[in-house]
Amino acid sequence: MGTRGELNLSEVREKLAGKSGRAYWRSLEEVAETPEFQAWVDDEFPNRASLMNVDRRSLLKYMGASMMLAGLAGCRSMRLPSAQLVPYVNRPEEMVTGEKLYFATGYTLQGITEGIIVESNYGRPTKVEGNPKHPTTGGASSAFMQASVLDLYDPDRSKSPTKDGITNDWTTFLSDARKIVSDLKKKGGEGLAVLLPTVGSPSLIAELERFRKEFPRASIASWEPSARDKAYLGTVIAFGKPLETVYHLSKAKAILAIDSDFLASGPGFLKNARDWAASRNVDGDPESMSRLYAIEPTPSATGALADHRFPAEAEMVDQFVQALAARLGVPVSNASVGGDLSVWLEAVAQDLEKNSGHAVVIGGEYLSAEAQALCHLINLKLGAEGSLVTHHSAVAWMAGKQEDSLRAFAGAFANGDTEFLLVLGGNPAFNAPADLKFGELIKQAKVSAHLSPMLDETGRVCTWHLPESHSLESWGDGRGLDGTATIIQPLIDPLFDTKSVLELMLALFGNADSAQDIIKARWAGQGLDDQGWRAALQDGIIPNTKAAAAGLSAMPPAPIKAITGTGELEVLLRLDPTIFDGRFANNGWLQELPKPLTTLTWDNTVQLSPKHAEKLGVVSGDLVEVATASGKVTGGAWVLPGQAENSVTVHLGYGRDMNDTLIAAGTGFNAYQLWDGASAVKGSVTKVGGKVALASTQMHHYLEGRDIVREMELDALLHPHEGEHHEGHHRDISMYPDPEKEFPFEGPKWGMTIDLNVCTGCHACVTACQAENNIAVVGKDQVLKGREMHWIRIDRYYGSKDLGEMSGKKKPTRADLDNPTTHLMPVTCMHCEAAPCEPVCPVAATVHSKEGLNQMVYNRCVGTRYCSNNCPYKVRRFNFLNYNDRKFSDFKIDGKNSSRDLRVRLMVNNPEVTVRGRGVMEKCTYCVQRINAARITAKNAFAKGQREKPEPMDGEVITACQQACPTGAITFGNLADESSKLARLKKMPRNYSLLEELNTHNRTTYLTKLRNPNKEIG
Amino acid sequence: MSKIVKEKLDELNDLLPGQHSYSKLDDQIGSLILDHKRHPKAWYVFVAIGGLGTLMLLTSIVWLLFQGIGIWGNNQPVGWGFDIINFVWWIGIGHAGTLISAVLLLVRQQWRNSINRFAEAMTIFAVMCAGLYPLLHTGRPWVAYWLFPYPNILGMWPQFRSPLIWDVFAVTTYITISALFWFIGLIPDFATLRDKTKNAVVARVWAMLSLGWRGSAKHWHRYEQAYLILAGLSTPLVLSVHSIVSLDFAVSIVPGWNVTVFPPYFVAGAVFAGFAMVLTFAIPLRKWYGLNDLITDTHLDWMAKIMLTTGLVVFYGYLSEVFYAWYSGVIWEQALVQNRFFGPYAGLFWALWFCNGLAPQILWWPKARKNVVVLFVVSQLVSIGMWLERFVIIPMSLHRDYLPSSWGMYSPSVWDFGMFFGTIGFFILLMFLFFRFVPVINIFEMKDLLYKKTGDHVGDHHGELATAGKGAE
Repeated sequence: MGTRGELNLSEVREKLAGKSGRAYWRSLEEVAETPEFQAWVDDEFPNRASLMNVDRRSLLKYMGASMMLAGLAGCRSMRLPSAQLVPYVNRPEEMVTGEKLYFATGYTLQGITEGIIVESNYGRPTKVEGNPKHPTTGGASSAFMQASVLDLYDPDRSKSPTKDGITNDWTTFLSDARKIVSDLKKKGGEGLAVLLPTVGSPSLIAELERFRKEFPRASIASWEPSARDKAYLGTVIAFGKPLETVYHLSKAKAILAIDSDFLASGPGFLKNARDWAASRNVDGDPESMSRLYAIEPTPSATGALADHRFPAEAEMVDQFVQALAARLGVPVSNASVGGDLSVWLEAVAQDLEKNSGHAVVIGGEYLSAEAQALCHLINLKLGAEGSLVTHHSAVAWMAGKQEDSLRAFAGAFANGDTEFLLVLGGNPAFNAPADLKFGELIKQAKVSAHLSPMLDETGRVCTWHLPESHSLESWGDGRGLDGTATIIQPLIDPLFDTKSVLELMLALFGNADSAQDIIKARWAGQGLDDQGWRAALQDGIIPNTKAAAAGLSAMPPAPIKAITGTGELEVLLRLDPTIFDGRFANNGWLQELPKPLTTLTWDNTVQLSPKHAEKLGVVSGDLVEVATASGKVTGGAWVLPGQAENSVTVHLGYGRDMNDTLIAAGTGFNAYQLWDGASAVKGSVTKVGGKVALASTQMHHYLEGRDIVREMELDALLHPHEGEHHEGHHRDISMYPDPEKEFPFEGPKWGMTIDLNVCTGCHACVTACQAENNIAVVGKDQVLKGREMHWIRIDRYYGSKDLGEMSGKKKPTRADLDNPTTHLMPVTCMHCEAAPCEPVCPVAATVHSKEGLNQMVYNRCVGTRYCSNNCPYKVRRFNFLNYNDRKFSDFKIDGKNSSRDLRVRLMVNNPEVTVRGRGVMEKCTYCVQRINAARITAKNAFAKGQREKPEPMDGEVITACQQACPTGAITFGNLADESSKLARLKKMPRNYSLLEELNTHNRTTYLTKLRNPNKEIG
Repeated sequence: MSKIVKEKLDELNDLLPGQHSYSKLDDQIGSLILDHKRHPKAWYVFVAIGGLGTLMLLTSIVWLLFQGIGIWGNNQPVGWGFDIINFVWWIGIGHAGTLISAVLLLVRQQWRNSINRFAEAMTIFAVMCAGLYPLLHTGRPWVAYWLFPYPNILGMWPQFRSPLIWDVFAVTTYITISALFWFIGLIPDFATLRDKTKNAVVARVWAMLSLGWRGSAKHWHRYEQAYLILAGLSTPLVLSVHSIVSLDFAVSIVPGWNVTVFPPYFVAGAVFAGFAMVLTFAIPLRKWYGLNDLITDTHLDWMAKIMLTTGLVVFYGYLSEVFYAWYSGVIWEQALVQNRFFGPYAGLFWALWFCNGLAPQILWWPKARKNVVVLFVVSQLVSIGMWLERFVIIPMSLHRDYLPSSWGMYSPSVWDFGMFFGTIGFFILLMFLFFRFVPVINIFEMKDLLYKKTGDHVGDHHGELATAGKGAE
């Protein structure tokens, strides 16, 4: 009771006088019934401190504390969504909570199927790796394989069939379609037209052949822009039949790549890269290191790696092939080259002859069939056939006749009435040769249906759009380049109401219910019993399916035809290195993957040689118009050092005409308008004024004389005293005590080496890292601002042939731009032992583990970005915006909002890696989740007495980048284990640390690149 | 009269020329608050500008909190851009206030009396603007309190090796001491206002703010002691705050940041920038409010001299960076200097050398120091120059460091400018509100000056120092 009112005593007496009987009162106030007393009685805690008897200081303290607590409560007003954990009642077979499952299946591109192992988390396929048992992947993978899981969870996939743009269902389609088909069957299939992309699946080919017999008058074609007709025709010309060409380069001594990017693209590139890396290996016998020559019109990864590269227009390359063939004894007429090239040719020819039996010529897939045939014939002469090159029966259906089949198909279409057109995949309205005007043709069909993952240019002009299953959702089979068969098994039920090509063929024309039955029955027919089937599913390959090397007899070579068209330049039309023929245009990982050599993302460009750009007065980003006989397009120019002077490269696949909300829309320009099916045509380029913003991840291209990429000639390695020396290891001088002695630690010390000698810059590691570590796609606008998130990047520097430039003694000259040497360097977190990022973090969010990992604690990070400023390698990445919640439609500069459900995209995330929110820093973790998984396995094995130490053994921890790398350039392991491969590599004289003079003691080090130049060329 | 006494009197005459009496001083300064008609149209214009700027600041902050740092131009490799440039710039501006009030008090420089009050106000407002940036530049400002060492169940302390933590201590100490110092200095003046005002409500407000000041000898004794102690505490801050801010850079290994000369060079730069800002406000202030005899030409002259001196120290710092880049033979440093001289931002670098190196040299001429137009222009150039200096140091060092592959460009976004101009608007608003509601010149210290000038035989014949405490009885 705080204050008391005045008591009127006379009033009290009066009240007492009115009472009868025994009255008890506690106080005079009670008797007086003062309001104060009433309040006191009513109060539950009458003796608590009231505001008035708290002194000022305490009051301020309480107020301060309450306000602070109230403020703190307000800091997290958003609660996490509530969720329930319920154990399985009936646990699915083999499913152990928290453990991943792995399934062997196949990935098909250009009709060639390669073995992959797919990781499944709680039934969600999340990560693709190469299948080590498969002869061409050998455990490695490509960026396309890695990114295929993202396609599965693309929120833009169609969810059900549509008819004339209105949602419909399969039952209606199938009943309508079956009626039409049964009508047409009476006429032998006349009026029925079926167009497929390249088909390599033996089961589907069998179905198609059966279809051809049942519907003899139906029109059928198999074609896609990436059809490898010329490669097959090359073998037809050389050997009389379409064949697959497989190279075995591990024992090669001299390799000549003729406009061939055999190390980084095309079917089988994983094997090529692996074998080539083996041939460059100097660990055993350094003398056996191979030498690589490249002649090409446009720079490729292979050209960048070549010991000698000659930039030459495609026309000149054709002449070169004929001249070389003539020089090496293949009977060709009309063969001569002049000038520098003749000297180069002679030196190369001599080297090839000298290494006869260990020398091979690789003709690229863009070469004309005749030129490729000459390459095969040269290989016969060089004695490479049978050892370094083998040929196997063609995998693709209609091999070599695909474009012909399309043209015949289109012709038949234009002539007769088409009742029912089935386009089973592909996107011909967008990408068929421009002269066919395929989009218009489709409209002539009475009823048309297009099977495709999403509504695209072709689907829009067809009556029916039918959603297609992803290969991870459907049964299938396929063959590798050498014929090795793989069963494609689904890891997940179709997410939406979709069907695969095979399923649709069966539903319309077949007599079996499920694709699985058909495939199983087909392989049972080949002798694969039930047990063998299960083994094939488990191994990912069907044993003994490799095609025997074909017996060959050389045919007389055909003359190479001149490039058609008019114009002062030759326009090279090529598949895009990241979005391919346009089919990956809606895949954020591939759109944002820097294209090798240009480091461009989200766009295609008109790639000009520096000389020609100077002539036109354009710089990168200026708008130019390219015109060929087929049409003209306007796009941004890109000045590309190493491009042959009079050739222009344009990549196909961009400029998709899609709904604005799709990420595919609004990127690049449609080069298919220039394309009549030939990979090189004559044309012209003019400057049109205006600029386009091109998002490149690297803006500066010279080493500036800094000791960053180290290269040496093989001779210098063999004879160390004669060659030039890099400065020896810097002596570590520190005022601090040696941490090794201060904090001795017995456990593993993780480290990494990256062998620059074999890195091909294929960027598979970048996508693998993105898939493994839930790295966000940021969009073109953010890449333009320099905010891409990749944890591993491949730096590319241009230099001159003179290695003096490397040590800062010489700057690259103007002439070096025309044919620069290219240095590739994958850069990821160096995991410095004395990491500059760590002491500057104000909240200890980046700290060192005992095992040597520089760790990021996302939850602790407040986002000052100081660590990134202080990182000399600039490998840290900051979430400037909430990239993981960003709608895909925001990825474009003028993106419109869409209301699509994006939850499906979240399914691709690796559950073992935190998805980072806005405002936190992130970077390479050395795949710490994989280290810990290996440690758990090791500890369990140790507990069971299966091993001596509870630590992972050498080779048991494989980082995502390392696993994807086709050349094994990346080695991860335990430095403390003296017997590990890593420890051995670190002791090699080639081992060096990037920016060693900063004394950061990097755990990631590099192995110096070696060049093996031919003295004759000098 | 001895020669020394005469010189002293002459000096006092320079600082307080003309005929004054204690009550006239009270009126001249106090009426700025008590009589709103003394404020020219410009006051309303600037309050409006400041208000709009403040709204822009609020808008920028709300959008920033909603979207994230991505609305700014910061990127990889330039993690710090306008955010830290502006932070350092504002902190630097504050320094003149501390120097004037604390250091000059300790060394008994009477001339500080007419400018210390608003220089201190400037300090506080500048530090308020500065303080916004370290908080808001974090990716997750809602957890920025983790930078404070507070007991928590995680047992997590901040990482004391990080210069950003030193910053937290330096800046919070700085704002606390500056605010206390300012407020204590205001108490006698609040009492004067309390006694002068005729409005009872307003008198009540002044009475509360003056904390019962009665002007007794005991009060004055306590006051002087407290003021001196705080001055003593502030003095090291003049050196420490900006030294520590400079360590944000000097401690790192970024070429262009890792420079040992940074602490003294930053302090000199801060004083340089601070005096430029004091002049920026003093020159129009004394014109608009007719305070020419309180903020005299002598004041301007001496401030200009300090600017010239500190400017030379700063320029020496620039030259030493160039010299050591050459002398050290370190290729990163050499590349840095080359990038500054000829790189993509070379224009800004040369503008810096013009603003901070060349322009202040005009102050060697006494005539220029007395010419308010010249002084005003030079102080504007210095303010711009000091901002450019931070641009040159921060983004220009970051955008090209060790690996050429990671080199990039930095271009601020509209929100960067929005927040920068927003803080300038906020600063202007606070300054003009300060002119309106707080005695802009220290009344009692001016009276003290008058007393020293005239002895106790002029003016109010009591001549007591404690005129302010009239209501003491």
